[in-house]
Amino acid sequence: MNEEIDDSEFYTQDFTTASEWEIFIARMEEIINQWKTDEVIIEENKSIWSVRQENIIFADFDFTFYWYKKKDVEEVSESSDSDSRSRNPVSGNFDFEMFSEADLTNESCISTWYGLDEFMVLTPTRNVGINSESRIKILLSSVYIVSSNVNNDIPIFVQIRDKWQKCFMGVFEGNGVRTNFEMVHLRRGPQHCQYLTGLLDLFKTKIMSPCSMDPIMCSVQLTYVLSDFGNFIWKQDSNNSEIIDMENVRLPFGVTVEPIKSIILKSTWKQLPEHLVVDSESYTDFDPHRAPIWSILAQMTKEPLCLLGDGLTEVYQLLSNHSNVYDSLGDYANNTTTPETNNPLDLLTEPAVPTISTLLNKAARSTINKHHKGVPPISENVLVPLLYFLFPDADESSTYPYGRDSNNEKDSPTKNKFINLEQDSKSFKTCPQDSLIWRLSIVLTHALQSLGGVKAFAHIWYEFVQEMRYRWEKSMPIPGLPSGFPDLRTCLLNQKLQMLNCCIERKIARETHRASQHFVDAENSSEDDDEFYECSEDGDSNKKYSMWNQPVGRLGKFNELKLLKTGDPLYIPVTQEPVLKTEDQLEEDTEVLLNLGDDNEASEVRARIMSASLLSDMESFKAANPGAIVEDFIRWYSPNDWIIDEENEDGGYLSPRMNIQNNIWVQMWETAKPVPAHRQKRLFDDTREAEKILQFLDYRNLSQICELIVPVLAHGALYRLVDEYNGITVNILQATARVTAMTKQVERISRDVKFQPRRFDAFIQDVSNFELTLSQINSLGYKFNPSGSFDNEINEKIGDLVIGKEIELLEKSNSNIGSRVLSMFSDAQNTANMISGETNEKLINPLPTPFQREFVMRVAAVKPASCSARCPQFLRAILSKNEFRLCGAFSEDIVFF
Amino acid sequence: MDEDILTTLKLLIIGESGVGKSSLLLRFTEDNFDPEQTLTIGVDFKTKRLSIDDNTVKLAIWDTAGQERFRSLTPSYYRDAQGAVLVFDVSSYSTFAKLEKWLLELDTYSTKSNIVKMIVGNKIDVDNREVSREEAMKFARRHQTLYIEASAKTKDGVQCAFEELVHKIIQTPLWESYADNGLQIGNKDHPAESSCGYCTLS
Repeated sequence: MNEEIDDSEFYTQDFTTASEWEIFIARMEEIINQWKTDEVIIEENKSIWSVRQENIIFADFDFTFYWYKKKDVEEVSESSDSDSRSRNPVSGNFDFEMFSEADLTNESCISTWYGLDEFMVLTPTRNVGINSESRIKILLSSVYIVSSNVNNDIPIFVQIRDKWQKCFMGVFEGNGVRTNFEMVHLRRGPQHCQYLTGLLDLFKTKIMSPCSMDPIMCSVQLTYVLSDFGNFIWKQDSNNSEIIDMENVRLPFGVTVEPIKSIILKSTWKQLPEHLVVDSESYTDFDPHRAPIWSILAQMTKEPLCLLGDGLTEVYQLLSNHSNVYDSLGDYANNTTTPETNNPLDLLTEPAVPTISTLLNKAARSTINKHHKGVPPISENVLVPLLYFLFPDADESSTYPYGRDSNNEKDSPTKNKFINLEQDSKSFKTCPQDSLIWRLSIVLTHALQSLGGVKAFAHIWYEFVQEMRYRWEKSMPIPGLPSGFPDLRTCLLNQKLQMLNCCIERKIARETHRASQHFVDAENSSEDDDEFYECSEDGDSNKKYSMWNQPVGRLGKFNELKLLKTGDPLYIPVTQEPVLKTEDQLEEDTEVLLNLGDDNEASEVRARIMSASLLSDMESFKAANPGAIVEDFIRWYSPNDWIIDEENEDGGYLSPRMNIQNNIWVQMWETAKPVPAHRQKRLFDDTREAEKILQFLDYRNLSQICELIVPVLAHGALYRLVDEYNGITVNILQATARVTAMTKQVERISRDVKFQPRRFDAFIQDVSNFELTLSQINSLGYKFNPSGSFDNEINEKIGDLVIGKEIELLEKSNSNIGSRVLSMFSDAQNTANMISGETNEKLINPLPTPFQREFVMRVAAVKPASCSARCPQFLRAILSKNEFRLCGAFSEDIVFF
Repeated sequence: MDEDILTTLKLLIIGESGVGKSSLLLRFTEDNFDPEQTLTIGVDFKTKRLSIDDNTVKLAIWDTAGQERFRSLTPSYYRDAQGAVLVFDVSSYSTFAKLEKWLLELDTYSTKSNIVKMIVGNKIDVDNREVSREEAMKFARRHQTLYIEASAKTKDGVQCAFEELVHKIIQTPLWESYADNGLQIGNKDHPAESSCGYCTLS
């Protein structure tokens, strides 16, 4: 100690010379006082502990000082211990705590061992042990001083030895009693301490009661660990080999290793007087089958590989890979086919009887690619079934055509537990379930995860793009897409393919039209004849339509209207098909229009830009209606701008806005030539658009491909989880909330204007967690209820076990779970015996030797002198194969001694 | 100059031809009425700043042609609109009867599920009214939209209609969830403003 402080003058308080130790103690006291006066803020988290912490430095050594307090602890005064005055923390009847995962913190073992609801711990911040005897002593002295100085009624502990040993010493002082917490931790305990009898002797010796004591009350707990589940090992989707069940191609799900590490059975006896029980090397009263209390808990495997989460993670990681498909494929993509090894696509799209065109095509391809060097990343026998799965229309007898599930409502994940999912999923910007892109994203994920990684992924995409090109060239519609124009409420890839399909459709229409045109020309057009005859009935058809002005491209008559000038029927012309756009193109267009500004001039330019279709319609109209005037056109095109004369049904006039001098409509009408739609310049050039799409697909790099399928994958993963959840009968805590949260995430992922990997990552975490929970439940269900019959009781218990709770088995081995656990234990024992070659006797006791035995002894003893008050004494012994721990709390009267 | 702009909203004006969509827009943006306004071809748009609750929002209002034949062209521009004004002519029952079809079209093509809709009965200055206020109100109630009567010619109700619509859009809570995505409203001028604006309002 530094003497100078004591000698210092009263009027100058010089702290500069205070020793490190004094500062350390002062700091601790200060923290404790601060904590006591502070308002306690109870954080809203799962843990039952509210924890506060401060850092303290002792010399150059960092410590962290924690204060642990159980939230909402009711005073334990209900217990038989009516002596509420002595609130000694160890005086309760606490024996064994029911294990609960949520309560776990680093230092909470103190609470488990001593049954404390509130305590403080001083522990080295870094992972260094306090092993030297003098250091331990100085720390202990410190907390003794602090404890008595601040009149603390909370035990203070110091962590000593190496951190993993979880060895704590401590002190409590209050109500005239001091309790010393002491702990011994050894690899292996001394021989005489292996059984209760020996431990009782040790306890008595330690107490050294000056007079005779009450009988010591003992509690015992035997723990058995089952980690060999024999036939009941749970592994799902073991088909992660290269063979994929083609009948059931779905996103992977489940775990590759048993998600339950072990099942722990505890048999417990509570509060037995010492003279009633015997437990020694030769004989023990503690037969687990006769224990009054049985409880079990499940230990989970730490971070087992979850297939669904893993698949998504692989895609997530690929997002940062910007290399292109051809680079990833290397030689293979550049030298696709030779006559010997056909491109699987040819196999796929080739009709049963090869047509000349496909043979030609094959020939053409084979001459281009003479050298075949590379080995395909996915072998043909794996690839072909996958392609048949994506394009089932290539095989007439396909067992998985698109739209097969539409009448099978049972499979719909919305059927059971999530009524709203169907509704919510409408806001997903993805694609319909089990459509081509849905399947493609599943196949791509499979390829990435289990068929050969990045190369296989690139290979599938490459084949897919090739197939798209093939379909376009051969005018074959793409299967498994929603019909119609690009739907802006779906993902971009879906829009692109819808667009490609529209292009293919128009190409087919054009080709058939051309074919029929030839035919009609040869036959001298019966339609034209009709027209001709109809006209000839008037007798002056030749006069009306000169040879160069024959009406063409009529769709049908328009409401019996007659042309104003000629009195001929007004025909609706065949017009050009509407222009189709995908959202990225629309965005570009919008941008162009917006950049023009918003003044009148810009409006005029916009009108010009937009008027292409108007001009086309005018030309078609003129072609179909020779002799028509602008008024006729308006009557068809914008009937509201033709004001009918009240008196004369056929008469009328244009609305004022149509009569504006030089308005754009009239201008255009004047420039329009009579040209039928099919001879006009195409407003929508399907050949060009198709080529654009094919190039778009072709030039995607790996990262961009992932971006395209991520929304669909997220949607698929959610449905997969919900599907699995509907398959089980156990209720998962907050399942609805978790699914709702994931639904929101999918919605956001799919609708983000710019893709945000961070969001996808968060989603993957949630998916993996949910997947793991489901796997654990499946595993426990399989173990406890192999028949799979509905059993509400078992389901409830499984629900508890899965969140890490220890549960009591009221009927012990007679309960369903109890008997299942016993039989698994005996199976495991049999297997073990068989391996070790021991005689295969019938096992009398299906339980193995306990993994851990725990004894709790407590008594009230007068200490240190015979005139002292009775103070609680406590010893807990934890014995296992490679650990021996004694946790003692010995109290003594510090007033009367 | 755009420092004080909170966000840009995309609005749509749809309805039958000749009900006065462009006139309403002209009245709102330029406070002007032109009886000889040309027929809109395809789509057009105007911008306007509007101050609401001490905040300024920029409106990009897309005006569409009402003609049947333009139906293949215009819906492309419905994308990502936050609000839609459905206009009918109170002196023409047929334009009112077609509203149902317009609402359906809006639901089909708008990509936002929570688009705010407002029905405007235009031309209330005209004498021969064919659609009563009550009937229109009933319709609006059934379809859960806002309803207001206006006249682009006399200026009645026009300002109020757009203000009301913008107010409603800002209040719609679901909106917020997209605000942090760097919302794109067909105008990329102010991505920063649009991404941060909503928290302060709601």
